[in-house]
Amino acid sequence: MPAPSGPPRFLMTINPNKTILDVKNLTVKFGGFAALKNVSFSVKEGEVLAIIGPNGAGKTVLFRTILGLVPYEGAIKWAPGVKIGYAPQQIYADQRIPITVKEFFALKSGRKTSIFHELKAVGLKPDILNKQIGTLSRGMFQRILIAWALLDHPEVLLFDEPTAGIDVSGEDTIYNLLHRLQKERHLTLLLISHDLHIVFKYTDNVLCLAKEKMFLGKPHQTLTEKTLAELYGESAFHVHD
Amino acid sequence: MANPLFTSMINLSNNFIWVISSGAAVAIAAGFLSSFVVIRRMALVSDILSHVALPGIAMALLFNIDPFLGALTFLIAASLGTWFFEKKTHIPSEAIIGVFFTAALALGVVLIPNEALVESLFGNLFLVTFSDALMIIIVSAVIFISLVLLAKKLLLSIISKDLASSVKANPDLISLLFFLIFSVVVALGIKLIGTLLMGALTILPGVTARNLSWSFKSYAVWSVVLAVVMTLCGIIFANFLNWPPGPTVILTGIILFVVSLILRKS
Repeated sequence: MPAPSGPPRFLMTINPNKTILDVKNLTVKFGGFAALKNVSFSVKEGEVLAIIGPNGAGKTVLFRTILGLVPYEGAIKWAPGVKIGYAPQQIYADQRIPITVKEFFALKSGRKTSIFHELKAVGLKPDILNKQIGTLSRGMFQRILIAWALLDHPEVLLFDEPTAGIDVSGEDTIYNLLHRLQKERHLTLLLISHDLHIVFKYTDNVLCLAKEKMFLGKPHQTLTEKTLAELYGESAFHVHD
Repeated sequence: MANPLFTSMINLSNNFIWVISSGAAVAIAAGFLSSFVVIRRMALVSDILSHVALPGIAMALLFNIDPFLGALTFLIAASLGTWFFEKKTHIPSEAIIGVFFTAALALGVVLIPNEALVESLFGNLFLVTFSDALMIIIVSAVIFISLVLLAKKLLLSIISKDLASSVKANPDLISLLFFLIFSVVVALGIKLIGTLLMGALTILPGVTARNLSWSFKSYAVWSVVLAVVMTLCGIIFANFLNWPPGPTVILTGIILFVVSLILRKS
């Protein structure tokens, strides 16, 4: 069995008072349209923050903005030297790009033992390494993207709907996996999800984005039927405690 | 036949070694570049971009300076323009480039004297001198090494700009460097196979290699090998058949492409 490599984060203690990310009055405009308006939140070390909201609320835009891909107004402050792993919802997996899974991993890290380790973490066998990326199923590719994000031991993980394209039993496994990794490696996790069940079960705080509104707080306090109705429209969800 | 393209072919054996080695050097650089051009889906952009060199050549001929420098200046300006459009606007770049660059072609045709036009459109590698060859080989080597150093980040930003950003590889900067490298390769090809056909040398090897490859490594190696094979075979065929070398190189590339299609199906 390949030994885990990288810094021994297992032995490190987290400092729940340390701010990893601080976002203040973030506004993103595309032309005249404000995709995000005055969004403020902060994330502490070891925290799991879920970002929810209806389609078009700007969840993915928020991720792309804090990664520095989109021009913005306001302030985004990462803790100095923090290492980020990002698993996007969809990437340009052009079947016509001839590249194997192994080569795709090598674009981030050359260390073979780390690649084996992360593959195992997402429940894949090493024989997938010689497959071409374009030939993988969506679920397989999603797992590869998660393993790719985990490679080189990031301190913060950004996951944009990590279970889109994965069947229900697979979905449960992915969240169990994320939860386990988050506990083991003391990761800070930012998660976009549509699944409120997952939000209640696994997250410390939730940021709800809707057109002009923003809610932030503990899931049980924030996600009341009233807020959900405001977010998604009347009686779109029924919440069981 | 009074075509200026053929007049120098009699003296071929004297500088044949320089013709072959500079042709091979450009082919190695262009072949490796083509593996990125094709998967970045800018095959047509690259073809049109290659026409931009013409007004540059025209200006250089008017002011009596080296056409390579004139072409390079215009290509770099056009590359910066393309990069800027791609970064700043969401307008389909083909449309803007199509209008702007065909205008450049028209301007070039108006400005360049007839004989010089044929040569700059289709090149004449049999006219390459020792100093030309030396310059071509050195610049090709620099291009090839730059591409090798840039390859990982370039490939990652082609697959996903978001992933590239997440590992702090600046996709905008990489894209700018890529356009600049592309300009230099096209300008290099002017003396060899001409501006019109240089676009083809940065597309054909990649398209053909893709039919034969599974991994990126094999794809890149095939692109380089195919570019060298099409260039050298093209030169030899042109010599035997008394054909102009530029078009012969491209026709050889087309034959290789058809062969790769057959191999892919079987």
